[in-house]
Amino acid sequence: MAQSEPPRRRPLEGVRVIDLTKIVAGPNATRMLATMGAEVIRVEWHDDRALDLLRGVRPHAPGGDPESLNRSGLFNNINAGKYGITLNMNLPQGRDLFKRLIADASVVCENYSPRQMERWELGYDVLSKINPGLIYMQITGMGKSGTYNSYVSVGPTAQALSGLTHMSGFSEPMQPAGWGYSYLDHSTGYYGAILVLAALLRRKRTGLGCYIDVSQTEAGLMVSGTATLEAQLTGQPTDRHGNRMQSAAWAPHGAYPCRGTDEWIAIAIQNDVQWASLVNEIGAPQWTRDARFADAAGRKANEDELDRLLAEATITAERYDLMQRLQQRGVPAAVVQKADDRCERDPQLKARGYLVPLPHSEIGTWPIEGFPAKFERLPADVGGLPHRGAPMMGEDNDRVYRDLLGLSSEEIATLREEWVI
Amino acid sequence: MGHLNTPAVLSSALAGTVVLECGDERGEFAAVLLASLGAEVIKLEGRAGSNSRRFGPFTQPDRGIEHSLCFSRYNLGKKSVTLEIDQPGARDALARLAQRADVIIDSGTANDVARRLELYREFQQANPRLIVCTITPFGLDGPWRDLTMTNLTQLALGGVMAVCGYDSRADGVYDTPPIAPEMWQALHIAGEYAVISITAALNFRELTGVGDVIDLSIHEAVSTCTEVAMPTYIYNGAVVQRQTGRHAAETRTRPWLRRTKDGRYVKAFLFWGGRDVRVITEMLDEAGVEHDLASDAYRELRKTSPSEAQAHFSAMIDKLVASLTAEEVFHRAQAKGLLWASVRYPEENIDDPHFQARGTFQPIHHPELGRDLVYPVSVATDGKDRVTAFTTGAPRLGQHTREVLTQAGLTAAELEALAAHHAI
Repeated sequence: MAQSEPPRRRPLEGVRVIDLTKIVAGPNATRMLATMGAEVIRVEWHDDRALDLLRGVRPHAPGGDPESLNRSGLFNNINAGKYGITLNMNLPQGRDLFKRLIADASVVCENYSPRQMERWELGYDVLSKINPGLIYMQITGMGKSGTYNSYVSVGPTAQALSGLTHMSGFSEPMQPAGWGYSYLDHSTGYYGAILVLAALLRRKRTGLGCYIDVSQTEAGLMVSGTATLEAQLTGQPTDRHGNRMQSAAWAPHGAYPCRGTDEWIAIAIQNDVQWASLVNEIGAPQWTRDARFADAAGRKANEDELDRLLAEATITAERYDLMQRLQQRGVPAAVVQKADDRCERDPQLKARGYLVPLPHSEIGTWPIEGFPAKFERLPADVGGLPHRGAPMMGEDNDRVYRDLLGLSSEEIATLREEWVI
Repeated sequence: MGHLNTPAVLSSALAGTVVLECGDERGEFAAVLLASLGAEVIKLEGRAGSNSRRFGPFTQPDRGIEHSLCFSRYNLGKKSVTLEIDQPGARDALARLAQRADVIIDSGTANDVARRLELYREFQQANPRLIVCTITPFGLDGPWRDLTMTNLTQLALGGVMAVCGYDSRADGVYDTPPIAPEMWQALHIAGEYAVISITAALNFRELTGVGDVIDLSIHEAVSTCTEVAMPTYIYNGAVVQRQTGRHAAETRTRPWLRRTKDGRYVKAFLFWGGRDVRVITEMLDEAGVEHDLASDAYRELRKTSPSEAQAHFSAMIDKLVASLTAEEVFHRAQAKGLLWASVRYPEENIDDPHFQARGTFQPIHHPELGRDLVYPVSVATDGKDRVTAFTTGAPRLGQHTREVLTQAGLTAAELEALAAHHAI
């Protein structure tokens, strides 16, 4: 997508988001809002409650000061397009400044531990008195209301509880494979953004703000597909099925080894025509004429044997070459791409400008993962209003405290000396 | 919490917004999310019914098109209109629907969608406020635009599979394949991004008065959703390796999944601070499990051989977990502030008082079963009640055809003509 001159109007023009989020889930939500043109101001501090641990997480941009809080690649990727300030909310002066920020804000987003904002006396009931139109979006692992309101969580916790961990991998006696990352940090961020965008539309119509208590575990249930329904229907617990298709008689349906070390191709046969094309492309070996594989039901019923035989046929093939040959015959086949493949060998991501180079004030210009849709009119820009990567710790203190709150240079200097900002 | 909102506060956020859903199953999740926010979603189906009516599981042995739980899950709260777009009169009917629509979602192969997009552009001439969102495997341009894809192959190409699966053998060789986590996750991710895009475009329309055309690529959507994998390569040139039940990483980390007394699993992370040792020691004591974590010998081991001490500590946690049920571990650990959870089946959350209190699940009546099934419908509350919900279950094929087309201004005679041409 075009990432050059920031256009004049943006969808969230005039929307100021005070961003108290950390790690991945909350910052993913505010990243979406920044992409859509909101003025997102990250609020951080140098203690365990308010410092985003992601600032210290690998990978780091090479070189520079290894102790720097500004060199994490993951942090840069997830916090692009935002402004950043420091604010010590453990001090009364810090909380007063925060309230002044809230007075002119549209949205506040946070994913602290469930009761942290109340401990600071900055919960929704307090902030909504300062700014009745405020949209307050909070993300916690299980949800702020309900009986688990004191429970603590990170993405993998919610994945376990929601059932997503159980539903991934081969059946017993194999363990669940689960997800190899915090999928729900992504999904929950998306839902958080959706709900804020919907709440902004509602506010335009009604003038009302609202409180939104997002649960990561519920986000997991939302993407659990038909599992809960089938269990109610059958009375049987949800099982897992490797890479196989359960909702249709599609077989073969899995990942098959290719030439090289840990190289795989995914193949998903949906019908007899695709099966015939696959058979022809792999040279119609004798086993493909086995009567057991003559129709979809037979292939599905004999999937273990089918998978074993197909793996023998794919293991000598170069993966992209096989993908291309199968695709030319209309067979759904795709290389199991790793990150290096997507960066170096994926012509589609390159052609669509998926990775967006954005400048960062300490580590220079790095590619940032883009927004996956192109708009003809709406200017979506992962670089946000500042058109850059993530903010350095406190990078925008002057802009926010001087330009937005109207503090003098002397006042700002005093606040710095007193460890308030 | 003090004064809060009215119940289901965002379930009417899109009230008055009319969404036409065309195309195949790739757009269904986006449209169902919009329905949960109060949009009127009109689903256009061919006379044979949508693909997803043929995906299981089914509520009846006949596997009939009205008995698919897959269709039901992804089409709650929608209206169904049958319309064969290539039959005489159908395009005019669609144009009249589009005249009062705010959003068209279309999905399928790039070729099919691009062809229909030309029609939608004509509709935009008459209705400039119309927002069109296309959802295709790769977007509408690029060298891979026309590849044939499924949910599985999207998860492969987009990088999710490569980071999910099982540990390699001790020699570093993988003898199990990468795993695509179950259900339609590529379409979930794409649907979520589609709704972000559409609600952003609705906000933009409030400012500009005009609609938009959104070209969403499922491949790019999936690609954004692999967390540390891309930055690890971009910044360090390294590729993370998949591991059983935990994050893929550059180097092997210790297991998180542990077997419980009742044959289930818990996800029990290890952090090595003094607090973790203290609270886990307390848990061992409370469970009556013999241990030596308070011994001078163990304290000395932590100083002299941290790695050995960690392995020993991990073994003690295995012992603790094996002495309790999964739910006991979950609640006892959480009471002590540990980030642990039981590895539940998703349906085990239905009767959990926490989710019942939040209204996470909503009963939807299934007449063919003569009873309700409960569906997960909301990811948030307003402090008390769920914020999104559905007013109806999924529609029968063509259930709303005449009602919706009449509202769009078609006369009885026009409807009869469409029927005569097998257009509806």
